[in-house]
Amino acid sequence: MNAIADNVQGAIAISIIDFGLSFVIISGIGLILWALPLINRVWKIDEDSLKQGHSKD
Amino acid sequence: MLSEILPLCRALLSQTGLSHFTLGNLLMIAIGVTMVFLAVVKKYEPFLLIGIGFACVVVNVPGSDLAAPGGLFHYAYRGVGLLIVPPLIFLGVGAMTDFGPMIANPKLVLLGAGAHLGIFVALILAKLIGFSLAEAGAIGLIGGADGPMAIFVTMKLAPHLLPPISVAAYSYMALMPLIQPPIMRLLTTKAEREMGMKQLRQVSRLEKIVFPILIAVVVNLFFPPVAPLITMLMLGNLLRETLVVNRLVDTAGGPLLNVITLVLTTAIGSTMNAESFLTVRSLEIVGLGLIAFMFGTGSGVVTAKVMNLFLKDKINPLLGSAGIASVPIAARVSHIEAYKANPQNLLIYHAMGPNLAGVFGTAISGGILLALLGVR
Repeated sequence: MNAIADNVQGAIAISIIDFGLSFVIISGIGLILWALPLINRVWKIDEDSLKQGHSKD
Repeated sequence: MLSEILPLCRALLSQTGLSHFTLGNLLMIAIGVTMVFLAVVKKYEPFLLIGIGFACVVVNVPGSDLAAPGGLFHYAYRGVGLLIVPPLIFLGVGAMTDFGPMIANPKLVLLGAGAHLGIFVALILAKLIGFSLAEAGAIGLIGGADGPMAIFVTMKLAPHLLPPISVAAYSYMALMPLIQPPIMRLLTTKAEREMGMKQLRQVSRLEKIVFPILIAVVVNLFFPPVAPLITMLMLGNLLRETLVVNRLVDTAGGPLLNVITLVLTTAIGSTMNAESFLTVRSLEIVGLGLIAFMFGTGSGVVTAKVMNLFLKDKINPLLGSAGIASVPIAARVSHIEAYKANPQNLLIYHAMGPNLAGVFGTAISGGILLALLGVR
């Protein structure tokens, strides 16, 4: 365990930090997702060849 | 003659379970039968409730050795306790899940954080009624509505609370079609529930392949305490999206997931014996779990409404409650409520976005919680 006190104040502090940080981090994931389509400009995948499955050759 | 037979009969009876049968056993058997009833008659998550309910009935029959060391349920529980089962569940879920709706509408991922206020309400309440901070954190995670994640975090923070926490988490997940709708209706107008959504863009195969790799890297980098679960989720999803290993995908999301579900549900049900389960602490945890689910549902809807203040293309606030992680139950509830308000409204694909974001939201909350408490 670290410095957070094991009392109600500690519980409130943990909750505020966790809830706030969750929004920040999930917004970061949102940003990554927002930028993800950019990858389509640099590379394309031939979906039909993938659908043929794993080759034994 | 009778005086010789009676003691023999008494001795014989004392060797059966009947002589150890308590009112608590009877109550737990009734609870187990109710779970099976809800699963079979009401169709509330039969994949979960039949196994949990049946095992609950069996372990409350005195004399049953299934949950004792050496019994099959005991080893099923060991798999859960050693954190082998939860990541395998996530592997199967990943193999079955299309993350397209989440990738296609990034702004809705915010709902995956917004719908988790219940975690913190339950955490603070648990602390107020005398649980330690670590125990309170584990109890709060019930509100993430993510069974494997609740088990995982509980094993790290308060392993002795695993039985009531896992039972509360899975029972409430199964009962979400009962818990969520009244809160969703209370916080929305009919006009809001009728709102349609714009069609989502097509997500390319390349994006779907890059996504699990990217997320696995980010989660292992920033949230190592919860990385095993999300890593397996992403592995399952990568297998699915590459399209070249269909056999593995079929196994991970089919037979393997079925076996693991059997192991998980019987393991959870087997912890529900009257002696350890019928305590004030267990009842408090079950109560706090319900509060967490209710607040999570409400905060998700409110977050969606707050987002609508800033968005040009408004979103149906019913999507907010789908930000609770339970996939796909919460998304299905949002869809059904929207459909009831407007039969032209098919919200399921849109609701899957926040619902999947909720999985990450719970993992993030759990990861931060473990980090703040100094647990790895």
